[in-house]
This record gives sequence, C-alpha cells and structure tokens, in this order.
Amino acid sequence: MTPQDDIVLRASGARVVYNEDTAHPVEAVRSISLDLRRSEVLALVGPSGCGKTTLFNAIAGLLPLQGGRVEVGGQQVDKATGHVGYMLQKDLLLPWRTVIDNVTLGLEIRGMRGAQARAIASDLIRRYGLSGFENSKPAALSGGMRQRVALMRTLAFNPDVILLDEPFSALDFQTRILLQADVTRIIKEQNKSVILITHDIGEAISMADRIVVLTNRPATVKSVHTVSFRNASTDAVNIRTHPEYQAMFAKIWSELEIIDEAKGSENKVA
Amino acid sequence: MVDATTTAPNKAETRTKQTSFRVRVLVYQIGLLVGILGFWEAGIRLGYLEAYIYGVPSGVASAFASQLLDGSLLRHFWVTGQEVVIGFLIGSLLGTISGLLLWLSPLWARVLHPYMIALNGVPKIALAPLIIVWFGLGMESKIAIAAIITFIVAFLQAHKGTQQIDSDLIRLLQSLGAKPLQIFRIVVVPGSLPWIVSALRLNVGFALIGAVVGEYISAEEGLGHKVYYSGQLYDLNSVWVGIFSLMIMALMLEVVVSWIEKKLQW
Ligand SMILES: Nc1ncnc2c1ncn2[C@@H]1O[C@H](COP(=O)(O)OP(=O)(O)O)[C@@H](O)[C@H]1O
Ligand SMILES: [Mg+2]
Repeated sequence: MTPQDDIVLRASGARVVYNEDTAHPVEAVRSISLDLRRSEVLALVGPSGCGKTTLFNAIAGLLPLQGGRVEVGGQQVDKATGHVGYMLQKDLLLPWRTVIDNVTLGLEIRGMRGAQARAIASDLIRRYGLSGFENSKPAALSGGMRQRVALMRTLAFNPDVILLDEPFSALDFQTRILLQADVTRIIKEQNKSVILITHDIGEAISMADRIVVLTNRPATVKSVHTVSFRNASTDAVNIRTHPEYQAMFAKIWSELEIIDEAKGSENKVA
Repeated sequence: MVDATTTAPNKAETRTKQTSFRVRVLVYQIGLLVGILGFWEAGIRLGYLEAYIYGVPSGVASAFASQLLDGSLLRHFWVTGQEVVIGFLIGSLLGTISGLLLWLSPLWARVLHPYMIALNGVPKIALAPLIIVWFGLGMESKIAIAAIITFIVAFLQAHKGTQQIDSDLIRLLQSLGAKPLQIFRIVVVPGSLPWIVSALRLNVGFALIGAVVGEYISAEEGLGHKVYYSGQLYDLNSVWVGIFSLMIMALMLEVVVSWIEKKLQW
C-alpha cells in the first residue's frame, strides 16, 4: 500500500466564504490543506469562531467551497450524500423515537428498514453498553448515554470517516473523560478514521494521533503536532500524567491565538 | 436536624393525601356552583333581582327539562354540533397539512409571510358576515366560518412548528444524505406535533365561536340561533339553557381533543 492509498480524506486549499456576493462577505476558512490517514484520529484545535464547524460542513458537503477541494475516499465532495458520519455537540436524538429507532436513522435514510437495520443497531447497542435501553426514549437517558447513542447512530451506517464536532463539550467533567476513553476504544475497534474538533487541548492530546492547530478566522493551519508518546497502556485518563503531556499542552496553548476579551489582546501565555 | 426517613411520607400516605385533596377540590367546586345558584335564586325570590333581566335557576331548570323532552334542544344541539365538528375537522386538517407543506417551499413561506402576520392579527370572527354572504344562510355557511377560522389557526401554528425545528437537526439529516421529503417525513412532521396539538386545542374554541356567531348573524336553528332569538324575546331562561348546552358541548369536545392529544404526544 502506498501512502497515497492510505489517505481517506484530503483537503487541498479549502476555502469557504459566507455571503460571498454581498457587501459583507465573511471569509471563514481561508485555505486549509490536511490529510486524514486510515484509522487515524486527527484533532483540530483553534479559537472559537475560527471556522472549524464551517470546515466540517464543507467536508460533509453541506456548504460549497469557494476554492480548493475536498476528497473523501478519492471522490471529490460536491454535495451531502452521507459519505461521512457527522456527530455534533448536541446529541440531536429524535425525542419521539426509541433508542434503537434513533440508531437506525442513517440506515433508514439509505433505504434500509425493518429487521436488517434493527439487527445492525441492536448489535451496536449491545456491544457498547446500552443493552436494555433499546426501547427507551432519549429523555430517559443521561447526557453521556445520549451522546453514546448518537455515536451508535453514526457508526450504524458504517462510514469510513467520522467527523466529531466538540461531541463532549456539553457533558460534565467525569462523563467527558470516561466517554473520551470509550469513544477512542470504539473508533479503534471499528477501524474508523476520525477528525475531532475540540477546544479542549487535553482532550486533543489524549484522543488524537495528530493535532492540527488553526489560526483565528479566517482559518489556516498554524502547526501540526504528532502525539507519539501514547502506547497500548495509555488511555484518556492516565495519559494526562505523562510528562510529555504537559509539554505538549503548553506548546499548543502558546500557539492558540486566544483573544482575551477583557484585555482585548492575544493571549501569549507559554 | 430532622431525620428525613421519619418525616418523608411513604407512598401510600402520599396517595391518600392526594385523594383527599382531590375530594376537597370537588366538594368546593360543587359548593361554589350551589352557592352561586342559591344566591341567584334567592335574589330573585326576595325581589333584589329582576327575573326578566337575569332569568332564574329554577326556571332555567324547568325550561331545560321541557325543551329536552320536546326534542327542540337536541335538534339545536345536533345542528350546532355538526357545524362545529365538521368545520373543525375540515379547517384543522387542511390548515395543518398546508402549514406543514409550506416548509418544502422557502420561497412561498417568504412570499406568504406578511399575509400570515396580517391574518394572525385580525380578529378572525370579523370575517363571518362575508362568509355568510358567500355561503348562504344554511348550515354550510356556519361550517365555512368554523372551517376558515380553524384553517387559519392550524395553518399558522403548523407553519410555526416547522420553523422551530432545530436547524442542526436538519443539518444532521442532510449530512446523512436525506432528501427534502425524507427530512420532512422524519423530522419536520413529528417535530411540529406539539404546535399542531396546541392548534387543535385552540380550534375547539374557535370552531364553537365561529358556528355560534354565524348562527347569531342568521340562522333558522342551532344553539347560537336559540340563544340570540330567546334574547330578543327576553326569554332569559331559554338563553341560559342555550349557554349551558354550549358549555356541555365544549366540555365534550375538550374530552375528545385531550384524547387525541394523548395519542399524538411523543
Ligand atoms: N451562516 C453563516 N453566515 C455568516 N457567517 C457565519 C455563518 N456561520 C458561521 N459564520 C461565521 O463564520 C465564523 C466561523 O464559524 P464556525 O465555523 O462556526 O466557528 P467554530 O466552529 O470554529 O467556532 C464565525 O465568525 C461565524 O460567525
Ligand atoms: Mg463550532
């Protein structure tokens, strides 16, 4: 296998401008080039409002590019076809549907219904610790469980590439740490390639193989870091005690152009 | 420190308390009714109130009984009931369907926006005289009034329901490759149900108002006609019979709508 075959997603000079034809165009993404390798977790960190979600929308085919291109699985993206799994901060479960009927959503949209879809869904549900909740409504679940159902929904239609847009940021601290570890395990097991947006540097280091730091809006790639000190025995919890963790945390923090609203200037803490 | 285990009532106790609370509410409700009727009756008998202006409970009761027995009350009830129910069903159904379908056309939603605001603001019952002119003096015109008013309410509510759907939810479905009609079926329709149900509830009242006001304006039969006509004749007891019959009808419809509401809830 050549390295070229190993790339499941490639963005080359991707550019997104909102309201391009108006008097007030907003350039959200200036030029982003990045590769996602097979079975890799790539984290995107950047100041809030820098254009991360915009980039995801473009990758998912929900927004047109004004320049450059995005390829997923060697195919250029030009519209939303379900070529990626997209999971957002909100779980977005349908409150009138049971857990299992939420998980089958993506399959249903592709025209698979009934027993076949339910078999796939209940297998995932059983495998990832939600047995017994198949017929519960989402309202009966905790925030962490709901987000887990949202992940099952994303996995059910078996996309190679999964986009996670701050999927843990609405959860309390303990649930977040546990779910980070769980999700990392699940996506490795399912052999998925993942781009994870987060503004939590610790989350990026503990989950990702590589970390891309973005500039303020309009977003460009500022730097790329490889997390090389993780091995089979590190997990989302104990990696935080690794000596290199602290150093990488400080490095990325210093690169983030966080505007301190109180001072109105960029944060240069090292 | 208070020990929570000794002060917290157990389930059985809680249930008895709730039951006795409910019994008390019922007793007070009946007491209130009896009290009002008693004062009213006494006021008339003692000469503080004039029977020809206020009517009198005992007279209302005997008018009720005789009009029930000669069949006239039931016929009025049946006529108005049909107008209300048919008007309600036509208006609510068509209004809900059109309000939902408008989601599929952002262009038309935009085009119709100012008209919807205008319709929402106008007292819809003001349309009644026009509709009587268009649909004649029979039952059809009352059905039409009820249907048109409930259509407007259901249409506006259903449209509002579709507008409240979380745009992230729609983004999620699009990212899964869903076509507009799939998004409509999977998210927009069920997501709008709470607004649709609240429109149904409002529409029970609007259909009643529509039919009754239509009958006030011009009709040969129906409870509204009966109330209006009896009023002209200063037969206040019969006016009350009509009003109480309308209350009974409203309660019956309320029960049906509550049942539908339970069925539609998620
Ligand atoms: N539909 C839109 N129209 C115009 N500007 C938008 C739109 N969506 C987002 N933006 C702007 O684009 C920038 C990037 O937004 P977003 O991608 O959501 O940021 P992030 O996810 O990194 O926090 C923000 O300044 C935001 O205000
Ligand atoms: Mg965002």
